[in-house]
Amino acid sequence: QKMASKIRVVLRPVKSIVVRFCPFESNVESTRKFLGYINHKKIQATNRNCEVTADVRHDGSEPLVDVMFADGERLVMKGANLTTIEMLTALGSRCSAKDLKEEQKSKKRSP
Amino acid sequence: APAAKMAALGGGAPWRRGWLPALQLVRRGSKAVTRHWKAMHFQRQKLMAVTEYLRPRPAVPPRCLAPRKEVVEEDNGGVRLLRRQVEEVFRDNRMIAVCQYNSMPGEDVVLMRHYLRKHNIEVKFVLNEIVRPVLSQSKYKNLLPLFVARNILLVSPETKVKEMLRVLKGVPQINLLGACIDDTILSRQGVENFAKLPSLETTQGQTVGALALLPSQTSSLLQRGSAHLAALLDQHIRQLQAGEPGSPADPTPPQSSGDH
Repeated sequence: QKMASKIRVVLRPVKSIVVRFCPFESNVESTRKFLGYINHKKIQATNRNCEVTADVRHDGSEPLVDVMFADGERLVMKGANLTTIEMLTALGSRCSAKDLKEEQKSKKRSP
Repeated sequence: APAAKMAALGGGAPWRRGWLPALQLVRRGSKAVTRHWKAMHFQRQKLMAVTEYLRPRPAVPPRCLAPRKEVVEEDNGGVRLLRRQVEEVFRDNRMIAVCQYNSMPGEDVVLMRHYLRKHNIEVKFVLNEIVRPVLSQSKYKNLLPLFVARNILLVSPETKVKEMLRVLKGVPQINLLGACIDDTILSRQGVENFAKLPSLETTQGQTVGALALLPSQTSSLLQRGSAHLAALLDQHIRQLQAGEPGSPADPTPPQSSGDH
């Protein structure tokens, strides 16, 4: 059920994504799948500059997704009780909102 | 007229004798099969309405009944073979590393396999549903939570951790989650520490050296007291000789050595 591949995430406004989890815990499934989906060819192709890092720890800390946007905003998602699709849609909605803003700005500048 | 004809016949199917309608309703020549939509004859409409398909439904909706646990005991030959392969892998190799696989371009996979094979490390793609039952029955229960999402196994009969880490650093899409080296489960931190350890020969040499250090000191420790005393007395003699050149040698040194 590759539902999540239908959610298009445009990573253009994103600078970097850090996914932190502890694989020996039991609540990391959605975060790991999220990492897998971000690393897909199509989504990577929308932005080659976006650095996706995976931080694998063993200190019992909860799974975390830290997204840094190009305009300095930061999105922190604690994946312990979130599903993959929720995380993807949240990220996708924010990305598309920022994308629209940038397009409007560029249109205003060059009429 | 039809009623009169029926009465004349006195029973029987009234339409049988080739009765042609007196009034043929052909006014404007619209045939049966038209290019535009034509409404069905009313009788036909009624027939179609009566003979509509009604889906057969169970009396009680299946949600209300207790769920039937369908025991899936298929156990295909293919699945059994894969399980056997996984068990073999766990038995034969000293080092097994579990990594998360995020989709990588094909050439990168081939390159990575090539580099790892140079160090005698094999790359195996595994399916979680096969590995999980094998693990739960073997002693590797703590590796169970690792097998979620797409994984690959890097197996090797030797423990060349440094080279493996170097190759994996060059590939950003594979994340090392943990490893089982010599039946010891290690996290990522553990693997890195293991890589930093010196080789077995150096550690053995270090242990031997540390152990041999103590006995070598024992003899000097035991003799320290008497050697110190002898040195003090020598110095005393020299002082006396220096103070009174020509005076007889003191009988004390042989006495003190006789005491011990």
